[in-house]
Amino acid sequence: MRRPLLGAAGLLVVMALLEALPRAGLVDGRFLPPFGTTARALGAQLATGGFWTVLGQTARGWALGLALAMVAGVVAGMVIGSVPVLRAATASTIEFLRPIPSVALIPLVVLVYGSRPESALVLVVYAAFWQVLIQVLYGAADVDPVVRDTARSYRFSRWGTLRTVVWPTVLPYAATGFRLAAAVALILEITAELVIGVPGLGHAIGVAQSSGAVAETYALVIVVGLIGVVVNLSARAVERRVLRWHTSVRRDL
Amino acid sequence: MTTVLSVDALAKTYRSPGRTVEAVRDLTFDIGRGEFVCVVGPSGAGKTTLLRCIAGLMPGTGGSIHLDGTAVTAPPAGMAVVFQEYGRSLFPWLTVRRNVELPLAEKGVPRPARRARVDEALDAVGLSDSGNAHPWQLSGGMQQRVAIARAIAYEPSVLLMDEPFAAVDAQTRAELEDLIRALWHRLGITVLFVTHDIDESVYLGQRVLVLSRSPTEILADLPIDLPAARDQLTTRASPRFTALRAQVYTLIQRAKAGER
Ligand SMILES: Nc1ncnc2c1ncn2[C@@H]1O[C@H](COP(=O)(O)OP(=O)(O)OP(=O)(O)O)[C@@H](O)[C@H]1O
Ligand SMILES: [Mg+2]
Repeated sequence: MRRPLLGAAGLLVVMALLEALPRAGLVDGRFLPPFGTTARALGAQLATGGFWTVLGQTARGWALGLALAMVAGVVAGMVIGSVPVLRAATASTIEFLRPIPSVALIPLVVLVYGSRPESALVLVVYAAFWQVLIQVLYGAADVDPVVRDTARSYRFSRWGTLRTVVWPTVLPYAATGFRLAAAVALILEITAELVIGVPGLGHAIGVAQSSGAVAETYALVIVVGLIGVVVNLSARAVERRVLRWHTSVRRDL
Repeated sequence: MTTVLSVDALAKTYRSPGRTVEAVRDLTFDIGRGEFVCVVGPSGAGKTTLLRCIAGLMPGTGGSIHLDGTAVTAPPAGMAVVFQEYGRSLFPWLTVRRNVELPLAEKGVPRPARRARVDEALDAVGLSDSGNAHPWQLSGGMQQRVAIARAIAYEPSVLLMDEPFAAVDAQTRAELEDLIRALWHRLGITVLFVTHDIDESVYLGQRVLVLSRSPTEILADLPIDLPAARDQLTTRASPRFTALRAQVYTLIQRAKAGER
């Protein structure tokens, strides 16, 4: 009960500072307009159709990329994770590919797709995929040996074991992977829009900035931040729902 | 009596880089259909090792195991295992009911029959009211009963149990012992029961196999000639029980001293 209150209080202080600093002349109002001005710009934005269009473009790119990365990461992780030979064979490849920052692929995707949404999609999927894959691999390796023996002694089929033993064990890890991937996917989506010019919020920020609409730029940045918060909160909510039985969530014991 | 399980010169040496443990050297014994056999031995004697080999979870490094005349190379059909770490062998993400039901589903038992068997098994272990709970919401003794219910619902012809009552209190333990005897009696299954508790082995079994210290051989194969109807008070107080108990005790002492 108290934590949200304190959080809200903290936010209010920040807003007050953002309002006071430019008004007191401590920072240049041309680069940091008072908060009230930004808020008004934000309000004006919300009233335009164009804003909702770019918001939709960003959301679509993010969600599609995240969904693809989730599916690919979970499937690949479960298959690789439950076949020891595959796991050993792919370990070094994964260790090599994973640290490549997604943004390093920008020149490549620009070459192939230009500033079409596919450019952002590739970057988002690439970045989010590793987050999911690594977590799912941890999860698949974490199947309790006694549980595994139990399944074997009751002669569960391979598919049955994947579905009823490996998947439930992987689920908490996949949920963590989802939460991490959701954040990374948003970063990459905005980056691609801002840097490559893929249509979306990031592109709109770039346009606002280059046309000197400072308050509008800040307003859009705030929107991106808010989306990040919403994404994180909903990922946590998903995590809690999915994992009612899991130690990290259940209260008793 | 026909032989169900035949263990012939079983040996198991664990090998890992820098460490070689000869756990089991030479185990040979037969178990007849419907027999209740207890295995006792000092800690580290290789009881779990023996059970895992019989369950087909791990190959021996020598000798052979046959179930109904067929060599065991993988977990055989018609066998259920209750593991020493029963708490970890239950699936925490499933309710008690689903835990008991899952092996039946995997076995291909149709849904209505499944339901009836789960009800019956939970009833037999006194957990009819806990079907919708998750295992971690139950006490240790209750969890153990879920593992037992799962094994009996499976209707195995051979039931392997590895120190299943080691972690429950004395009262629950006595109840579970009588439960297992009753189920064995009613279902006519073959039971191989590993324990380190001498009294328990004499109280439960028709035969007690005493293992030597590792590297393990069979030190003694002792028939338990107590009446079939056993009772926690009268059986345990009978002179014959006391005599058998003393006999097993002496054997274990000799096993610990390294005799083989
Ligand atoms: N996976 C393993 N790797 C190496 N050595 C092992 C392994 N499992 C068991 N051992 C060794 O084999 C021997 C027998 O172990 P086992 O677990 O079968 O004994 P146990 O009779 O079941 O003991 P307890 O009564 O304590 O459960 C021990 O010396 C043990 O250290
Ligand atoms: Mg053991």
